[in-house]
Amino acid sequence: MQTIVRVNDVKKAYRMGEVSVPALCGVSFHVEDAEFITIFGPSGSGKSTLLHLIGALDRPDKGEIFIEDSNLLKLSDDKLAELRLTKIGFVFQFFNLLPRLSALANVKLPLSIAGVSEKEAQSKAEEMLRLVGLETRLDHRPFELSGGEQQRVAIARALINSPKIVLADEPTGNLDTKTGLEIVQLMKTLNQEKGQTFIVITHDPNIAETAGRIVYLKDGLVEGIKQAPRGGSR
Amino acid sequence: MKTRKVLAMAWQNMGQRRLRTSLTTLSVVIGIAAIIGIASLGEGFRIDIRDRMESGFELSNLTIIPGSLFAGLSRERFTDTNIGDISRIQGVRAATGVMQLGNVTLYSGNETVQAFVATAVNYTSFVEIFPDRFVFEDQPPSQFTNDTIVIGHKVNYVSENDTTPFARVNDTVTLSLGIPTGQPYPSIRFQNETFTVGGILEKRGTPGITNFDYWVFIPVDRAREVYVTEESDLVFVKVYDPEQSERIAKDIEALFPPYRITILVPLTFIKQVDNILTIVQLFLTAIASISLLVAGIGIMNIMMVSVMERTREIGIMKAVGAKSRTVLSMFLAEAVLLGLIGGVVGVFTGYGLSFALAYGLSNFVQPQEQGATFQNPEGAQRIAITPALSPEWTILAVVFAVIICIAFGLYPARKAARLDPVQALRYE
Repeated sequence: MQTIVRVNDVKKAYRMGEVSVPALCGVSFHVEDAEFITIFGPSGSGKSTLLHLIGALDRPDKGEIFIEDSNLLKLSDDKLAELRLTKIGFVFQFFNLLPRLSALANVKLPLSIAGVSEKEAQSKAEEMLRLVGLETRLDHRPFELSGGEQQRVAIARALINSPKIVLADEPTGNLDTKTGLEIVQLMKTLNQEKGQTFIVITHDPNIAETAGRIVYLKDGLVEGIKQAPRGGSR
Repeated sequence: MKTRKVLAMAWQNMGQRRLRTSLTTLSVVIGIAAIIGIASLGEGFRIDIRDRMESGFELSNLTIIPGSLFAGLSRERFTDTNIGDISRIQGVRAATGVMQLGNVTLYSGNETVQAFVATAVNYTSFVEIFPDRFVFEDQPPSQFTNDTIVIGHKVNYVSENDTTPFARVNDTVTLSLGIPTGQPYPSIRFQNETFTVGGILEKRGTPGITNFDYWVFIPVDRAREVYVTEESDLVFVKVYDPEQSERIAKDIEALFPPYRITILVPLTFIKQVDNILTIVQLFLTAIASISLLVAGIGIMNIMMVSVMERTREIGIMKAVGAKSRTVLSMFLAEAVLLGLIGGVVGVFTGYGLSFALAYGLSNFVQPQEQGATFQNPEGAQRIAITPALSPEWTILAVVFAVIICIAFGLYPARKAARLDPVQALRYE
């Protein structure tokens, strides 16, 4: 199995005025291609920081992160943006959809940024929304959709550019349990059908255990990595 | 991201905040309208003044007077050789010397009138040089003889309502020449000369410096006999092309020693006035431009607020792969659209405004009294400025609006582009 994400002794601290607050204190692990992995830990354990670093939204203070063969530390801001555009899809806890755009336009956004023609973007976005079960909600704006529907739109947006990796930051954190499980199930189905790698952050053990592997994070360190008892696809 | 898409998104963003966009655009509209209003009114005013002067002055006529305005008028005079040299300069159509005999009195029966000046001319040349002003009330005389006198309108009709002329064609009049003492006429033979009236001139006013209404004209040969001289006091020159008049004036000056002569070139005078008016116009436009700067500051302010409001959106854009320059171009596109719309609407508003101002001005300024000393073309007494809007000004104004918007939008746009995506995503 090919390694798609490699995290080597990554450290990251945030400055709060005069004080430096460590978020990650030397994290190492790897993710394999087409894996469905969860990163589990309590609030403040550094999960989101780790996801931002893997997602090329931020740079570590020390250590290395590889996405396939690219060392993120060595890439310029523009190259990182390109990487986010072509290889990474994000799903956030608060959905992070653009409120004034329709579901369809939100899903089209990465394609527009990539310079894909309007016609092609339209048909791809429609297909993706159909895939997440929102074919009747194309023209609805985020505020006209339920939380679960908004997260489906976000997933469709994350997948539209056919990224290698989908990063989900507490994707169920803002949803009720039933909807949350539906969303996780959707992601798992997509993982199995499309073979994309899913890295899901959660503090909900029920969600964590849906994955094939769980990375336990605590106080900025990997406490352990284990196969889930009722593991996912891998 | 494709430019068309960037513009479309910018347009959509602006549409989401209609009131704010309208108010920001309005500030640009006001700025450009002020500039265009003042500029086109000023341009119209300048063109009006220039047209008045061009029609008032005889652009193709140069007047050469002896002496220098700086060194005082000398009593040196022009020989026929001088005049011959002048008429041979390239571009000169005709040149004629005249004698000016001041303070003359005319007698006809019991009637007496004073004329400002009696000018001794070569009638044939004079008619060629002043075809528009040396015009007779009735038929021009069939021939000019050594006995012919031509009388100016206001010499013949002393007051405006005077219906009884001093003299009629073919009347005999006696001209009492003022007696100059000493130089340059040491040996005057006669004091009174008798002439036959050849014609009365139409009223024409004063183009440039000469007003024929107050003049009488006698043949130069006769004056030369009387004054025993071969020289002229003034030379009138007609050129083929008024645009050449400055060059011709230089050539004429080169014929004489320095400061011997002064040449009055109407084109130079008009150009000077035109330059002054252009400077005034630019000055006023510059003042009006301040309002556009104020608009620019307003745009900057609004865009800063917009960047703050859309921080999370910028974070999302960056998370899904937008480069910093994509974010920069999105905000700059809004500035460009603001400038374009504001500029175009402002140009039309300003043009309309200039007409309103022109109308107000023409009602405010009272028409000039008829019969004023300056010659006016028919119906031009009224100040009726037609604002003029050149394509150059239109394009310049719109470009200026866009530049101002970009200049003031650049800082907020860069601020947006440089936002840290993680911080932006966390922004509440």
